Amino acid sequence: MRQPLAALLLTHLLALPVAAEPGPRVTTDTVEYCGSLAARLASLPAAEREPSRSLGAEGKRLCDTGHVRTGIAKLRRAMRAAQAAPATP
Amino acid sequence: MNVQRPRSAMPRRGAEQAPLPGAPLGPPRLLKSAGFRFAVLFAAMFACAAVALVAVLWWATAGALDRQTDAAVRADAVALAERWREAGVTGLAEAIEERLAVDVESESIYLLMDAEGNRRLAGNLDRWPPNMAPEEVWFRTRVLHDGLAAEARLHRVDLPGLRLLVGRDETERSQLRRLLTEGVVWASSAVAIFAMVGAWLIRAALQARMRPTFLTTAAIAGGDLSSRVALSGRGDEFDRLAQTLNMMLDRIGTLMEGVRGVSDAIAHDLRTPIARARAKLEDALATAPDEEALKAAVEQGIADLDNISRIFQALLRIAEAEAGARRAAFAPFDLAAVLADAAEIYEAMAEARGQRLTTELPSSLEIMGDRDLLLQAVANLLDNAIKFTPPDGAIALSARRLGLAVEVAVADNGPGIAPEDRSHAGERFFRADKARATPGSGLGLSLVQAVAHLHAGEVRLEDAMPGQTPPGLRVVVRLPAP
Repeated sequence: MRQPLAALLLTHLLALPVAAEPGPRVTTDTVEYCGSLAARLASLPAAEREPSRSLGAEGKRLCDTGHVRTGIAKLRRAMRAAQAAPATP
Repeated sequence: MNVQRPRSAMPRRGAEQAPLPGAPLGPPRLLKSAGFRFAVLFAAMFACAAVALVAVLWWATAGALDRQTDAAVRADAVALAERWREAGVTGLAEAIEERLAVDVESESIYLLMDAEGNRRLAGNLDRWPPNMAPEEVWFRTRVLHDGLAAEARLHRVDLPGLRLLVGRDETERSQLRRLLTEGVVWASSAVAIFAMVGAWLIRAALQARMRPTFLTTAAIAGGDLSSRVALSGRGDEFDRLAQTLNMMLDRIGTLMEGVRGVSDAIAHDLRTPIARARAKLEDALATAPDEEALKAAVEQGIADLDNISRIFQALLRIAEAEAGARRAAFAPFDLAAVLADAAEIYEAMAEARGQRLTTELPSSLEIMGDRDLLLQAVANLLDNAIKFTPPDGAIALSARRLGLAVEVAVADNGPGIAPEDRSHAGERFFRADKARATPGSGLGLSLVQAVAHLHAGEVRLEDAMPGQTPPGLRVVVRLPAP
């Protein structure tokens, strides 16, 4: 037990000081953001093309089933794919 | 001749019975031990090397990631400021949302607010971080991400009427730092163990290597002068030290033998002439028929005592030459001139005995040394040659430069010295059987040899006329040229 404790202590000593009280909250890990991301994806012309379409669908399904973080990651991948896709099919 | 060692020459036994403070008896105290200090030095060097390695490792991993994060955040902030200049607040807000929408790693953190901090315009932080000093541009804070407290690196950019935060979630980097820290702690433990083991090995090795020297010096201090330091055969510094010590002990032994030899010689060889002089004087005192006879006996006694005094002077001179005390008086001079002077002095003596003294000397023969001692040595050689050469004999004094050496030779056609006696000819009071009938003290060649050694030279005895009878004697003194 001593070594992990020492490691923890050293980590805290080496880390730069951070504020003690809880900081602001990140808002892009919520179901609401999942919805807004899906809407933003839908507005893109390439959203119906693969792989954006399946990634988007998978992301929405994950968000709906409570796996928000994974769902948001899928939707972001879909966004990235849609933005990278050529303008015309 | 086996002579008992004088009691005064023995090391004092008192050193064993009452050791001086700090005398090397038993292992030295830990802090005074050189082995311990070497071990500590090794451990410190090992630890320093380990710390340097960790520092480099940290700088190249966690440090590099931090620098990359800062560079990415700075570039992002510059790009967003540019976007604001091009498209205003709306364009900036849209750019932030676009960036968040494609942030698959979910690391980016943005917050755009009005200058007063009342209205949130874009980004993924719900509020401005508290306790943030206005002058701070770069800082770390904790944010709540996915329900967990996460460390974030943030950069503040002030725009006219706006304030913007650009940052990254550093959770993964913190985990990496933690892993590295754990690794460093474990490695430090290993380093400490290795350092201690290495230090112990060094200390043990040093003690093992010093032990023969310690034992030898302790044995010598205890009176066993024949003890020598054992060599390991590795030929390292310790072996060289042991060799030097052994050479020093051999030299001391030789000097002590010499001192003993002189003492013995004085005791045995000077006792006889002193006793003879005393007996003559006593006999004269008891039996002298008249004052004239008594006076003659006294004069003979004075002559005998003068002879003894000369022997003492010769002994002192030899001792002085052997001790090297006159080396400081060395100066360059022309040996050829000195040899010519000696030849001139002894030429008359040779002529008086019907002998012929010839010389073969160069015009000049520069040498570095003690002029008086060399003159005395050559005089001894010429004196010997004249004494041992028959009345119609020939004596030759020659000198020449031979490469990096100067050779002075005195040759005669006397009886010579038998080869088996030549190795003893340089010993004090040695007299070959053939020379017993000739007056002399047996110190002449001793002085020659001592003077040659003082000048880093050597003396060689050889037949002057090999194969003939008598073979004669040729004494060659070889001295280094300056």
